[in-house]
Amino acid sequence: MAKSICTALREGALEGELAPALTIKDSIASPFGLQVFDHVLSQLFSSILAGKSPSQGLILVSFSRSPSFYLELLKNKGISVASSDKRIQILDCYNDPLGWKDQLVEISSTVTVFREVKHMDKLFNSIIELGRGLVGGGKIRFSISIDSVDEMLRWASVSSVARLLSNLRSHEQISSIFWLLHSDLHKARVTAVLEYLSSMVASLEPSHQLANGQRGDLENFALIEHNSKNGKFHVRFKKRNGRVRVMSEEVHMEQSGINFTPLSSEGAINQGLVPKVQFNLQLSEKERIDKANVVLPFEHQGDNGKPLQIYDGRRSLVDSKQERAVAVEKEESDSQRGEIIYYRDSDDEMPDSDEDPDDDLDI
Amino acid sequence: MATAKTRTSSFSRNFSTAVASLGSGLKCGPNGTVFVSSGIPDLDKILGGGFSLGSLVMVMEDAEAPHHMLLLRNFMAQGLVHSQPLLYASPARDPRGFLGTLPSPAASKDDKSREPDPDQEKDLRIAWQYKKYFGENQLNFDGQRDGKHEYSNEFDLRKPLERHLINARCIDCVSIQDSSDLSTLQDRCATFLSQLPRNDGSICCAGRIAIQSFCAPHCAHSNMEWEMLSFIRSLKSMVRSSNSVAVITFPPSLLSPSLCKRWQHMADTLLSVKAIQDEDKELAQLLTGYQDMVGFLNVHKVVRFNTQVPLILEATTFSIKLQKRRYLVLECLNQAPVDGSSGTSYGMSGSCSKTGNLDF
Repeated sequence: MAKSICTALREGALEGELAPALTIKDSIASPFGLQVFDHVLSQLFSSILAGKSPSQGLILVSFSRSPSFYLELLKNKGISVASSDKRIQILDCYNDPLGWKDQLVEISSTVTVFREVKHMDKLFNSIIELGRGLVGGGKIRFSISIDSVDEMLRWASVSSVARLLSNLRSHEQISSIFWLLHSDLHKARVTAVLEYLSSMVASLEPSHQLANGQRGDLENFALIEHNSKNGKFHVRFKKRNGRVRVMSEEVHMEQSGINFTPLSSEGAINQGLVPKVQFNLQLSEKERIDKANVVLPFEHQGDNGKPLQIYDGRRSLVDSKQERAVAVEKEESDSQRGEIIYYRDSDDEMPDSDEDPDDDLDI
Repeated sequence: MATAKTRTSSFSRNFSTAVASLGSGLKCGPNGTVFVSSGIPDLDKILGGGFSLGSLVMVMEDAEAPHHMLLLRNFMAQGLVHSQPLLYASPARDPRGFLGTLPSPAASKDDKSREPDPDQEKDLRIAWQYKKYFGENQLNFDGQRDGKHEYSNEFDLRKPLERHLINARCIDCVSIQDSSDLSTLQDRCATFLSQLPRNDGSICCAGRIAIQSFCAPHCAHSNMEWEMLSFIRSLKSMVRSSNSVAVITFPPSLLSPSLCKRWQHMADTLLSVKAIQDEDKELAQLLTGYQDMVGFLNVHKVVRFNTQVPLILEATTFSIKLQKRRYLVLECLNQAPVDGSSGTSYGMSGSCSKTGNLDF
């Protein structure tokens, strides 16, 4: 799923379409959003450098982390920023977002400081300008990644942030865009707005849901610890034909970074639409045990490889135990001479009944 | 004399005289109402004739699928084919661009094979849900088959509408993104509707208003709840006293629940569209034809003017399919036998609130 996201972002928008937009959503229960963001960022940037994408450059708008962090990150991933100077530009909204400082030491040529985060339209203009400076004008496209939309929502209203994002999506030079959101910092409506504006929603959830009251329990420590390094990664794609593709993966945090693996256990993702059907084809545990205890009639005994003990249904099980030993011996001695092949007519046929089976026909 | 009374029976009068007094694209309905087509023949059938003139239709969008655009496109295109004036408002900066995506009427009726396969009728068929087979034998209730005066057209979504229809003077486009209050939109609607007053005489022409994604988050007015509600109320009253139909689409997930309920009550006719999950094995087992479906359409409320008798539909959920990727088709759902004792909540789990109720 992480691969499909990266592929979708890499491929970008078709002519006349809005750019694909990804929301990475996490919460305190599963706080790996930043790591997923880093992963997607490095994947997208390496594809841009390798020329696999119609996008020629990447603009990173960093709110929650310093630009030097990102330069380090890319260096550690083996992507040298010095040679790729022409492909990435970072808009620094971290060091001096409100313009309080008089002078700032310039970090590198790839970083541009932005001082007016309260004005979304100025931010829009700066992003576009930076992008145009990177790839040129005309029809050449570039991608955008926004470190954290939460910071933007601190300074500006939801509708202006929404307007910025939708204008970016509909700009003809933008190939793809993605952003990070911590969903528990906002009201539900804000998350709904950002999901409305995006074409892919990736959400991180804990592998084991803990009830609130259980937090302090020692027994759940193992679960909590498991949750701190692992989680579930769900993605909802809005496809072009109007259908929604839902996919899931497991995510593991390791020293080297983040790892995505397919889901290990079966999970019922969509249960909502299936109504109860009249036929219950599943067996409950009790039913399974009872089924194993049922003694089968003639023709099915010996099916599971046990030695054949004929139970003809006439006597109760207890009585026939003594008979069985005799019957088995008899059976072995009889096997040379002949066999009794019995085809049962019906299950409720009384053995040795004198009744005429045609009696119950109602003509 | 007032307009001829129509009776809903299988004996139908020859309506040639009555229709002549109405403009093109209009049809008489029961109880003195007049219908315009929604642009989707299946939807017209479901609603009992089409959208009633003077009604406010609201469509609840699904944030995950663009099906409301399909409905709007067909609605607008139908109006332009009949040269009905159109007012289109959308949150885009340039709403005119959307007009380029309107579909054109389908070329000929032979393309779509809706006739039952003649071979099938030779053998004995046991129909599980026999009612769906009746539709094939029903006569089309549109009286006239004349190309120009056809009430409702089948639209080919792959063919764009002819240029001269899009450039007609009767189209007005408004962008609702930047206006901080809704007074501009309200004034434009008022001017538009003043051209179409309702008199007792014959109706020569009907107008259409289409407002797309009314509370979209990037609009400046999207957090002004009471202003939006009062706009809808005033639009409803203006539409009621004019010869027009207004269609408003909105995403309910972006509204507070109480506001969403108020808007739903405001609507005369209420529809909703829902996305369908791709590669859902359970749904594929449950519904036949799942592969061709692109979404669901729910009909919540249908307006009935001048009568106390409500319209009760047999089924309220329909699947949206694109036949040959061109023609929008609505079909009843066919499903496996369902446990009747489960009542209204068909095994719904609380977490899947997006999918909603499927009512067969």
